[in-house]
Amino acid sequence: MKKKTALKPKVNIAFYFMVIPFVVLFFAFHTIPFLRGIFYSFTDWKGYGVWNTVGLRNYIQFFKDPAIAQTYLFTLKFAISATVLVNVISLALACGLNSKIRFKNTIKAVYFLPYMLGTLIIGFVFNFIFGNVIPLMGQSLGIEALSSNILGTNKAWLGILFVTVWQSMAFNTMIYISGLQTVGKDVYEAADLDGATGFTRFRKITFPLIAPFFTINMVLSVKNFLMAFDQIMAMTGGGPGTSTTSISVLIYKRGFDGGQFAYQSANAVILFLIIAGISIFQLKVLEKREAKMS
Amino acid sequence: MKGKRFLALGLTAVMSAGILAGCSGGDTGTAAKETKTSDGKTELEFLSTKAENKDTLQKLVDAYNESQDKVKVNLTQPADAGTVLKTRMTKNDLPDMVSMGGDFNYAELQSAGVFVDLSGESMLENINESYMNMLYQLNKDQEEKPYGIPYATNSSGIIYNKDIFEENNITVPETFTELMDVCETLKAAGITPFEFTYKDAWTILPVWNSVAPVIQPENFYTDRRAGSTTFADTHSEVMEKYLKLVEYAQNDYMGTSYDDGNKKFAAGEAAMMINGSWAITEIKKANADIQVDQFKFPSTDDASKNMVNSGVDVLLAVTTSCSDVEGAKDFLSYMVQQENAQIYAEEQFAFSAVNGVEQNDPSVAGVKDDIEAGNVVDFPDHYYPSGLDLSADLSTFFLDKNNGKEDAKNIEDTLKKIDSDYDTLNVN
Amino acid sequence: MEKNKMRVKEKYNWPMTVLLIALAVIFILGPLYIAVIIAVKDPSDMANVLAWPKVFRWQNFADAWTMTDYPRKFLNTFFITVVNLVFTILSNSMVAYAITRNREKSRFFNMMYYYFVSAMFIPFNVIMLPLVKQASAFNLDNIFGITFLYIIFGLPMNIFLYTGFVKSLPDALDEAAYIDGATPFQTFFKIIFPLMKPMSATVAILSFMWTWNDFLMPLVLLSDQKDQTLQLAQYVFKGQFNTQYNLAFASYLLVLIPILLVYVFCQKWIIAGVTNGAVKA
Repeated sequence: MKKKTALKPKVNIAFYFMVIPFVVLFFAFHTIPFLRGIFYSFTDWKGYGVWNTVGLRNYIQFFKDPAIAQTYLFTLKFAISATVLVNVISLALACGLNSKIRFKNTIKAVYFLPYMLGTLIIGFVFNFIFGNVIPLMGQSLGIEALSSNILGTNKAWLGILFVTVWQSMAFNTMIYISGLQTVGKDVYEAADLDGATGFTRFRKITFPLIAPFFTINMVLSVKNFLMAFDQIMAMTGGGPGTSTTSISVLIYKRGFDGGQFAYQSANAVILFLIIAGISIFQLKVLEKREAKMS
Repeated sequence: MKGKRFLALGLTAVMSAGILAGCSGGDTGTAAKETKTSDGKTELEFLSTKAENKDTLQKLVDAYNESQDKVKVNLTQPADAGTVLKTRMTKNDLPDMVSMGGDFNYAELQSAGVFVDLSGESMLENINESYMNMLYQLNKDQEEKPYGIPYATNSSGIIYNKDIFEENNITVPETFTELMDVCETLKAAGITPFEFTYKDAWTILPVWNSVAPVIQPENFYTDRRAGSTTFADTHSEVMEKYLKLVEYAQNDYMGTSYDDGNKKFAAGEAAMMINGSWAITEIKKANADIQVDQFKFPSTDDASKNMVNSGVDVLLAVTTSCSDVEGAKDFLSYMVQQENAQIYAEEQFAFSAVNGVEQNDPSVAGVKDDIEAGNVVDFPDHYYPSGLDLSADLSTFFLDKNNGKEDAKNIEDTLKKIDSDYDTLNVN
Repeated sequence: MEKNKMRVKEKYNWPMTVLLIALAVIFILGPLYIAVIIAVKDPSDMANVLAWPKVFRWQNFADAWTMTDYPRKFLNTFFITVVNLVFTILSNSMVAYAITRNREKSRFFNMMYYYFVSAMFIPFNVIMLPLVKQASAFNLDNIFGITFLYIIFGLPMNIFLYTGFVKSLPDALDEAAYIDGATPFQTFFKIIFPLMKPMSATVAILSFMWTWNDFLMPLVLLSDQKDQTLQLAQYVFKGQFNTQYNLAFASYLLVLIPILLVYVFCQKWIIAGVTNGAVKA
């Protein structure tokens, strides 16, 4: 960043007119709800009726609550697994799609298709496939593991994971492809001359070059997966038991329905802190990268 | 450099939070939004929380809209209606009228003061006294005022396929041991005794609801509230019965949804289901020719102790945000007219809270006598604190069982979990 | 040169092509195939779900069309999507322009940059509960309100996307315009805005995808049945379709078809736009 030592030039007043209305509106409809949420988390408000401030009670309860612990564990487990799987599969797919294949654009378009479809509807479709198609196939093939609905077992989260990966890999794959395209042919030619091929070539040459794209994907993925909502509502509603209740599902269900408006506001504040932590980490990493590139 | 800026921003945020804290909070004030149709009728939203009764209610509403020219009632029926209703209460945007179950959702809404007191209305004259009392029990401080009109009542027990029973010469079991014998007979004949639909966790509750009130000690609700007894000490028999029952359920009972299960039962894939009369509507929709009937769940081996679960399945209420209370009352009077209540009862296989309405459908003949004799018990979960997610705990119980958790330990842990959930909610 | 010719000859990697096609058919098109055939099947033809339908029952679509009140829900969604898209592009780009051009000259604009960008840290779920209360107090729990909120909530991300792009446009453009006597507004709309087209395309695609497919915000904000969006309507009608899977799937397809059409015709732009946005972010 350049530092101006000379006198600051005057800003045309019109620029203030361009910005201030939006700042005011954004403050009113985004920042104020955010601050009110923080405030509610120190009360015992149910969302209606009378309330009192209760200090840190919600937060103390938060850290003692086994239901919260389970929700966070599930969400973390889910987010990490999804991030790893999506990125591994996407990277492999991107390498495949970037190689000299026939019908490249058509195949690419098909792989990108899931990104276009709403998560809720995808969830409904797979809910049917898991509940009515796969068990029938499993029974007729005599495969025990497939003959019951995975969404009714303790592996329900794997069903949700599958759908999430199915949909998310489209986006990540495209990012990796654009990364791979930045790697010039000459680099590979040089590698060929050195005798590096196959996986060695990937590990030693390709991957380091597309590492920035890898970071983008990792960070964006983790953030999205920590917020998983649509697919869970469409498939299990958080069950069986509470085994697939994500943080977002809990905030929605209990915040409105369980008389825990204030308590779930505290939950939202904690979620914010986690997301903010990840975002700051993201900014740092990106800044470092920019510094390196310039 | 950037760090400092963020710090400054953070400080600003904290400061404005302090300012806001002082002035936020007082945001009540209900805005009754009156809307009119193009021909000058007042539009009233009538929200029903039961997906099962959509067609019947729509029919009654349509006829009402035809019959007069002051009010146009719009029926809405969202999925996950309990949550939707609470969300809308949070938003101060309640529908004008609701049709909902006489359950903890009602209790919560009532205690928030969102219903209009209907005392002294002539339409109440023909409503069954005992169901009115059932609703009073749910009111805040058990206040004896009609905030909701009981409309239809249900019966929960065992729904069975009459043809299968006849083909196998099975008579209706009256004790739990007899029920187990019936299951053995069916199993030996290669028939799946039960179709359970535990993917939708609320369908786990009927067994609990039937067994718990019969086996629990007297004054359990009061004692539990006072903390002098626990579920762990008193309810293990319920859990043991669950374990015996699922032995006779189809393989994938945890993966079968309510909708799929009803369809399979209607196709004759199992002999029995444990659920309420509302499911019969769905079963008949899938197979209009099926011969079904209901019998009370034989909770114990003492036939004289066993009772039918019956509660207020549908109550009608006017909310305080209603834009035309008189119009709403007029609609409710129309609904409780005997011939309309009769239509509802017949189409929904429900019993009516309106005096003089008979339920003669063979699909519920097996519980009719008990209901008429008053040999009924209300759903116990209506007496637990609102927000106690019993079905989630029971669902976890079966999940753990299928993961190989040892039964005794599983029962103990589940009941303890219910106790601790109860205590958490009881404090607030 | 010799080498290049050799390359042209070795041409296509066929094993990879076949593998990728096979995977796409099984995993991507397979589930979609199931969705489509169920939507056109007769309820009596569901014994073997995967089999080709015996008869095509187009009535499913007609029934789903009336049951969900499709035209109305489509218009709602279309309104939200298009209005949001137009206003987002016009307004958010302007805010980003004003901020970027003055960040170095004025503390205020620099602060605003960080104010908006740091709001990206706040996911919707965090402000959801209070927002629902506030939105209803301001009568924003309807189509117009939710559209307005989408425009406002898009600001952080879009400002972030646009600023990088504005930086790459030389200041000399503005200065030349000022010398000709143009006001900042004229400069922006006549000169800068047209140059921002590539980034506007990205913002447009991302906004379109967000509002068309969003479920949570309509779920908590829109309570009037008349205001429902297509996504929300699917959820609401889930309970009423019950086991009529054929109708339900026909209804899902009715929601997917518009976006699939858009995709078929603008596929290249969309992929480029989405990738562009993410790499910039």
